[in-house]
Amino acid sequence: MNGRPRQAVLYLVLAGAMVLAALAGLAVGPVRLTPAEVWNALGGRGNVTAVAIMRDIRAPRVVLAALVGAALAMSGAALQGTMRNPLAEPYLLGVSGGAAVGAVLAVAGGAPFGLVPLGAFAGAVAAVMLVLTIARAGGRRPDPRVLLMAGVVVGAFANAVIMIALASAPADSVRNALWWMMGSVAGATWGQIGWFAAYGVASAGALLLFAPEIDVLALGDDAAAGLGVNVDRAGRRAYVIASLLAAATVAAAGLVGFVGLVVPHLVRTRAGSRHRAVIAAAGLAGATLVILADLVARTLRAPSELPLGAVTALGGVPFFLFQLRRFR
Amino acid sequence: MYHRSSSLGFGACVALAALVVACGDARSRTTSAAADTAAANVTGAFVLRDDFGDTLTLRAPPRRIVSLNPATTELFFALGAGDRLVGRTHFDLYPPAAQAVQDLGSAIPPNVESVLGVRPDLVMLYASNSNRDAATRLHAAGVPTLTLRIDHIADFRRAVEILGRVLGDTVRATVVADSVRRTLERVQTAMQGKPRLTAFWKAWDSPVIAIGGGSFLSELVEIAGGKNIYGDDPRPAFDVTIEDVVRRDPDVVFAGPESSERMRTAPAWRALRAVREGHILIVDTMLVGRPGVRLGEAAVSLARLLHPGSLP
Repeated sequence: MNGRPRQAVLYLVLAGAMVLAALAGLAVGPVRLTPAEVWNALGGRGNVTAVAIMRDIRAPRVVLAALVGAALAMSGAALQGTMRNPLAEPYLLGVSGGAAVGAVLAVAGGAPFGLVPLGAFAGAVAAVMLVLTIARAGGRRPDPRVLLMAGVVVGAFANAVIMIALASAPADSVRNALWWMMGSVAGATWGQIGWFAAYGVASAGALLLFAPEIDVLALGDDAAAGLGVNVDRAGRRAYVIASLLAAATVAAAGLVGFVGLVVPHLVRTRAGSRHRAVIAAAGLAGATLVILADLVARTLRAPSELPLGAVTALGGVPFFLFQLRRFR
Repeated sequence: MYHRSSSLGFGACVALAALVVACGDARSRTTSAAADTAAANVTGAFVLRDDFGDTLTLRAPPRRIVSLNPATTELFFALGAGDRLVGRTHFDLYPPAAQAVQDLGSAIPPNVESVLGVRPDLVMLYASNSNRDAATRLHAAGVPTLTLRIDHIADFRRAVEILGRVLGDTVRATVVADSVRRTLERVQTAMQGKPRLTAFWKAWDSPVIAIGGGSFLSELVEIAGGKNIYGDDPRPAFDVTIEDVVRRDPDVVFAGPESSERMRTAPAWRALRAVREGHILIVDTMLVGRPGVRLGEAAVSLARLLHPGSLP
């Protein structure tokens, strides 16, 4: 088979898997509902409890999980290409540390709990900007190695701030903020999904639009410059869009690790070397993975939940180790 | 970057552990009988084994007490020994006189140096695993330290008795214990024959934390004529999914004022019949929050919420 039909098959398979995962996510829960009841309740028919379970508990969870998974996987795919580093991931450039600091400081500063996501987003954005600034100060253009170091340094700084906040702020509130950072779509609401979808679709669209630039950057800076690409600007654009997309996922669902690292690798061998295809396929696969991870998170330890970030990482760590072996 | 994400994971684990501790720690429960081995030996010293299995020897009633558990702080005041307290936790706000006692921070685990700084001759700790290290250090520093686990109503009765002996005032301890017991019995008797409403006690919002059978609150609900939907779980508190609460379909919900408001406005909670029917009962979290001398009052307030007009 040649390129196009093969990719069409890939998209069909991935979309089908995502639909199946979503159906499983809608059908399974502590309250047993028959497929007919699920269908009717989604349409607003049947008893009030079933309708509320479907429309206000399960459906928002599934949709938010899908959006967060897609966003993280697309962000990771773009960053891996741009940085020419197979182990790059969405939180690399300070997003996780910055978001945690933002969330904890918002709480420690007495902000109501509803403002924690906003604090996390602001912290993540500030950290990404800081990392990019540090990396530029170190040389002419954001060298991936310098970026990586800047990310580590900012992360260490963020950790120190969190420790200080933990030690000095009211214990309950900081704990609450850190619990929230562990990742969950349990509190998903349609209002939240609305703004996240708008932001996510715009960012994902931008990543797909600039994907050909990433293809060129992936060849190496010199080759890209030789092909007439402004390496500095193109690289920075990809870093900023991908990192801010990841920052938005943190605001929506806390930290959901390893999706952005693992999923692009899962699809890359089949989607080919073009980043537009890799990013799009990663989005579909990431959505599927996080819908399923959420299903595991809320059923494995019922009536309690596992942190979503822990479930994705449990699946992701073995894969990460496998990757390390391959690159040695 | 991996260093960073693992450190954050560590932070989150610390947070988790702390939360579990704050809600009580069911797994490390030692047998309640351990602390009952008390005896006066020939020299007149008073020997006691606490819930960590440590031995405490008191030669005279303590004069400078640090109480790092809100329940024991209340109890010292009730036993007339409030003026002997030289340290408390950040959360010991009852009775109001307790607020004049020096605040030594959040208790689990305590800052050992701050505790030593007020030169106590008795330190009271809650029997959480996180306090084990502090207990060891305090013993090593020669400070008499008594660790008690107070999670259930029976634990409270035992604590009253032990503290009465420690303070050398068993008469007053008996009066306090009897007063609480009589109030609880009065409530229980008044609620007999009333329909048993099933209840969900929401202790926290995100994550949603339910009170389980391992907490005195579950016992209070039963005494007040209700039945905790998570009473069959031996843990004191644990997180639950909203849908699991919906499956258990409680008649009423107990929650604090802010928590109730959040519940009324969150779309997901509309799935719960009790919420749709307006059966969210707002509890006075300061009154019912701890297994102390106000257990009786707390039971009365819950009974009035569950069955209005049933208690004078």
